[in-house]
Amino acid sequence: MTLQTAKSILNLGGYRYLGMLLLVILVSGCASDLQTKVAGNLNSLSKNQTVAILPIETSHSGQQEMANMFRQGLYANLKQSKFNLLEKYIVDGLLKQNKLDDPAGFLAINPMQFGEILGADAIVFSRINKVERSYFVVHSSIELSVSIQMVDTRTGEVLWRAEQTEQDFSGIGKIPTGITTALLAPIQFVTNKFNLRKMTSKMVDKLTALVKNPENAEKNSTFDTTVIAKNATTDLKKIEELQQLKAEWSRALDLEAENEPDLPNDVKQPATQKEMLTLKTPSSPPAPEKMQEIQVGTPLDSDFHAVDAEMAPLPNVNKPQIMPVSLNALNTTFATPEKVESRGKYSQRKIKPGTTNKKNAKPSSALFTVQVGAYKTKAYAQSLLNKLVKKGYNAFVTHNKVYRVQVDKFARKEDALKLAQGIQQKEKLKNFVTRVQPG
Amino acid sequence: MGYPFVSHSRIPLFLKLCIAYFGIVLAGCGTVDLEIHQGHTNSKMQPRSVAILPFTLEDLDPEKVSPHELFRACFFNYFTYLGYVDMPLNTIDQKLNQAGLTDTNKILELSHNELREVLGVDAVIRGRVLSAGNFTGGIHAETSIKAKIDMLDLRTGDILWETEHREMTYSGIFSPTIVQIIQDQMDNVKVHQAYLKAAKIFSLNIMKEIPDPADSWTEEIRLPKITSIETNLKPNLKLNSNDRIYVNMKGDPGLTGYFDIGSWKSNIPLKEIVPGLYTGSYTIKASDDVSSSLIIGTLKNKNGLTGKKFYKDGMAQFNTASTH
Repeated sequence: MTLQTAKSILNLGGYRYLGMLLLVILVSGCASDLQTKVAGNLNSLSKNQTVAILPIETSHSGQQEMANMFRQGLYANLKQSKFNLLEKYIVDGLLKQNKLDDPAGFLAINPMQFGEILGADAIVFSRINKVERSYFVVHSSIELSVSIQMVDTRTGEVLWRAEQTEQDFSGIGKIPTGITTALLAPIQFVTNKFNLRKMTSKMVDKLTALVKNPENAEKNSTFDTTVIAKNATTDLKKIEELQQLKAEWSRALDLEAENEPDLPNDVKQPATQKEMLTLKTPSSPPAPEKMQEIQVGTPLDSDFHAVDAEMAPLPNVNKPQIMPVSLNALNTTFATPEKVESRGKYSQRKIKPGTTNKKNAKPSSALFTVQVGAYKTKAYAQSLLNKLVKKGYNAFVTHNKVYRVQVDKFARKEDALKLAQGIQQKEKLKNFVTRVQPG
Repeated sequence: MGYPFVSHSRIPLFLKLCIAYFGIVLAGCGTVDLEIHQGHTNSKMQPRSVAILPFTLEDLDPEKVSPHELFRACFFNYFTYLGYVDMPLNTIDQKLNQAGLTDTNKILELSHNELREVLGVDAVIRGRVLSAGNFTGGIHAETSIKAKIDMLDLRTGDILWETEHREMTYSGIFSPTIVQIIQDQMDNVKVHQAYLKAAKIFSLNIMKEIPDPADSWTEEIRLPKITSIETNLKPNLKLNSNDRIYVNMKGDPGLTGYFDIGSWKSNIPLKEIVPGLYTGSYTIKASDDVSSSLIIGTLKNKNGLTGKKFYKDGMAQFNTASTH
């Protein structure tokens, strides 16, 4: 039908040229390609939630001006949205304080980390894909292309994702008003920054329209399923693995507790404190009554832990001054040392077989050791072991369901506790005292 | 004989046309001539908090689009990009109303001390729209906003910077292409959009000139600090209806504390039981349904800045069979 209409216009003798002219005008408008999708959870953001717009990634320095205009446009447009925007100078200041000054690396960082650094509930990553200006005597064009993504830092969910390309041109296709303009307009079009600014502004208007009113999103503009950002998926998986490992460790300790033969009554603890007992520093405020049930600290959580180590550490995060000592230290079964690497400078009172303190010794002649980590994977244990040995600790690994990294052996528990405290202070490594088989 | 004459006369004519063309094309999109009276070298003297007072219109408003209000909102949106603490427009209007100040012209006549008392900010921006016009006729389309804007330091009464500028979007006989003329005509008929476009360009141009103190504050920015967060969640622990999630958080004292369960449940209040120790809980309801979510503790200060910390040793996982 449309084709027939077009043909009829073109076949109308004297109107042929006019028809061609109209067609040219129809197709010569600036082209725009926008693909945008939002998540249903975007609707739940309110003024109580803060969104940070990160600096824009560019592929080369020539795009910086466009990037600044684009970010400024994003701020101006999203200021009208339902959520609270974290001011640009605060975002930039905090990123600078944390030495995160390369937007190209932002996508590799876990959104959770941005959440903690910026105190934001969601972050907006964006990238300038293309700023292309071309000129061919009587024709010139500008093409802009951007990608943008808003991610919830609390869940890693992609709340909004869009790609947009905007093109405009000046030339014969737009029917110049004279010979002079035919020659000069294309030059003016590509050289005048005003045109780039106008296009950028138009682009941001279109791009942000849906985010400002997500409730108006049609089905084809909404994600079918929850989409989790890639970097968040990886790290959430690691957190889950870590938690799984802790659960297994906990189960292993419980199992060992069941097998424990004769324990003195005075060391048995109530069920609510089954796993850990925390020795808090005098400055620690008293925990509320309910919180006595809360698990505080864990022997697996350490700076050296392989899973945690892959998530970039948060700057300025002070670890709580809590030194946990496991009651299971007194419940554990004996493990056989798998490998004793070395004896370093921090070794205290090396125990020779048969030299245990008879006063405190158990009938089974058990010794006390400081456990600093436990891993399902041997390589992780080995990694921590190597680090400790390098620092001069008399560390070794034992294997019984899990690989445990332990330091030194003592006949007296007091000595072990002393070393435990030293490791906690010097290495900031959570640990606890447990028993180990001599030899 | 004729050849040199032709060449000598045509080139200057062409150049003249070029100059005239560029002169006309570039007219109306010039830079804003902002006069800075006082550039504070001492960063501590720079105004931190700023309120944008209601703009006035010193001309008729035949289109009834209130270009001054539209311009103020647009100006605010772009101004937030700079490193000032911006008081939201509705807060400003509310405070002025509460003080019985409803006449925008009278507000501009108030002394700096009076304004400081009412608004409690370091500086204000005053805007007077001197003229605003929108015209579409024949092949001519034009929308313009002429305004005088300044920043008044309420601590000293000094004007820090001021400008008077006319921003115009124009299309007509000198437009380079017919398509452009048609497009501009069509756009200019939408009066509200046309004013908004002019206001945006005005705002964008002026923002490039206004001193931005952002860099002065970089080292001073500090979010509320959370040193630790603890919960009773454990790996693989499935929560049932009526189970309770307890959250205990340590951090800066005297702030507002709350926690989120992923993005599923937000702003669950935490109570500060002793300075710096915040505690709270959430009881699982039968209708609750969440697969696995991290607990996020938040502390908010009076400026609205938030510090966050994730509890990574366990996730809230509801036993859906039980809760349903």
